Amino acid sequence: MSAMDRPNQDRVSTSASGSPTWWVVFTRELSELWLGGRALQLILIYSILLGLYSFLLATNSELKLMPLKEMVLEMVKAAIAVSLFICLIIAADSVSGERERSTLEGLLLTPASRRQIVAGKFLAAVSPWPVALAIAVPYWYAVSQGDPVFGRAALWGAVAGSLLAPALTGLGMLVSIRCNTIKASMIASLVPYLLLLIPATTAGPSKMYESYALWYRNQILQWLNPMAASSHFLKRVLVDDWHPDVLWIWLTAPVMFAGLVLVLLFHYGSPSLRLEAETAERFRPYWERLATLWRTAGFALRSPS
Amino acid sequence: MDTLRRESLGSPEGALMVEPTNGRSVSGSQASQLPILVAQDLCRSYGPRQALRGLSFTLNAGRILGFLGPNGAGKTTSIRILTTILEPSSGHFSVDGIDQRYPEKIRRRIGVLPENLGFPKQMTGLEYLSFFGRLYGRTAVDARSHALALLDDVGLTERGRSLIGTYSHGMRQRVGIARALVNDPAVVFLDEPTLGLDPRGQQELLGLVRRIASERKAGVILCSHLLWEIEKICDDVVILSSGQVIVAGSVREVIGRGRKGGIRISVPSASLAETRRVLERMAEVMNVAPVPEQTGCLRMDLANPSSEDHQVNNRILEALIRAGIPILGLSAEGNRLEEVFLQLTDKAVK
Repeated sequence: MSAMDRPNQDRVSTSASGSPTWWVVFTRELSELWLGGRALQLILIYSILLGLYSFLLATNSELKLMPLKEMVLEMVKAAIAVSLFICLIIAADSVSGERERSTLEGLLLTPASRRQIVAGKFLAAVSPWPVALAIAVPYWYAVSQGDPVFGRAALWGAVAGSLLAPALTGLGMLVSIRCNTIKASMIASLVPYLLLLIPATTAGPSKMYESYALWYRNQILQWLNPMAASSHFLKRVLVDDWHPDVLWIWLTAPVMFAGLVLVLLFHYGSPSLRLEAETAERFRPYWERLATLWRTAGFALRSPS
Repeated sequence: MDTLRRESLGSPEGALMVEPTNGRSVSGSQASQLPILVAQDLCRSYGPRQALRGLSFTLNAGRILGFLGPNGAGKTTSIRILTTILEPSSGHFSVDGIDQRYPEKIRRRIGVLPENLGFPKQMTGLEYLSFFGRLYGRTAVDARSHALALLDDVGLTERGRSLIGTYSHGMRQRVGIARALVNDPAVVFLDEPTLGLDPRGQQELLGLVRRIASERKAGVILCSHLLWEIEKICDDVVILSSGQVIVAGSVREVIGRGRKGGIRISVPSASLAETRRVLERMAEVMNVAPVPEQTGCLRMDLANPSSEDHQVNNRILEALIRAGIPILGLSAEGNRLEEVFLQLTDKAVK
């Protein structure tokens, strides 16, 4: 019997009897990401980068330019930073990309709740993290050259990354929900990523401060940045051999950041998932006013009087 | 919840009047008279711009309603409101008796082929339809068997396992229609379904649309700029201009609203002057003039257009035949939806 020959019979029965919506969306996104090759390409680039970086560090080790523990720390930090970047750009493409490819409307026209759609996409976007971790561990082992620091690096690197990956993925998705184009969402999500990453990577060895006030200020700024706080935690555990019990406060920053981003994503972001992002339209009058002011100022500066 | 019954077509404002039936059950013979979609005074603004102003109409089960209007008339906005993608600024609508306050329930009862629907090129037609079937709550096995049946319905059984990226435009439109039917909807919205298709593809797709209404007893809203298409398969028509309904009713009624009294005659170019002389001598016709864009075509007005004298066309033909003029064609103006559409939308713009 063809579908056309059975009108009305199961119009109402197509209710929730199959898998949950988030699972259906998640499996589809996952197959599109991995079988479609996009995530595979990114993971391949990540593996090459990690290989090159470990080679460079190994060369440095031979020259005795960097202690072994610091080398492991650098590898852990690099693996986390690059895998977070992968999660971020996949998340940034997840909604705005569908808008650009005109595939979002079909999804929004189904009875699936916006929150479940976002949940499915979020889980798929965060999926490169465990794969990236699995790829990074052998590199960490190779760089640690049998040193016991490897065990701590594998454990705490996995913990720090697992806290940061959902946070950065959520951030990318929040931006993606609010952008109409992939280009806009990529730029808008890279800015906060770099703002978090640069202080975390440029933080050098412990400095001497002129006063306690300056030291406190530095510590608070570092704690407020979840990536810098994780980086500080890893440095103390891996390089300075501190016990994690006295460092738990540094893990509260990524936990709180992840919690905040996920609440924003699922409580405020998901319900505002629309066919067209409203942000651009909302800010248009301000941009137009700013452009007028800019033109007026330019004209005033150029005029001879 | 109150259900609504259509009372009459075409009020003076162009809105279709509705009457509450307070949930009374209606027998099977009356099923096609049941309003399955009721829109009342829908408005939508984008900032200071009013895209839609007081859209009201009803759609009955098993009927096809043509949704017409020039570009920017508010058709897409109307479709997006009725499919719960946009919220109306004011007004009310219900689908299959479900109030607009329950958009997720409404989405279970509707199927939509949007104008610019994108397709994931890495999925096969079968996977695509199965995915949407599962989003409507079907199990994986059920979704797959239903998807196969739908592919059969739209004539894509052979290509169901090929990647959508390899499909032609017409095949993608067919998959889009199959996707719109994946939940056995009560109302189907088709926005420009034949856009970009060759004539054969258009004919086949229109046949499919007719089957959706007749066999599935679904109400169909068809948006198109091809007026012959609307005239050919629609039962009712709503014409929008600048966000307002300018006319609504059955296709026959709407065509009946067109200005009558014009006649066009086509003759060989060499006989044009002689034809004009013969016609100008007749008392029944006036304003005989060549049609600038059509060689060998003359247009004239009837002296008494409101007259019920249907023999006037025969008398014109008789005069021309007696004069030995070969007649290539004769048509009365105001009998085509396209002419009525142009007349009404021109008037609305002015």
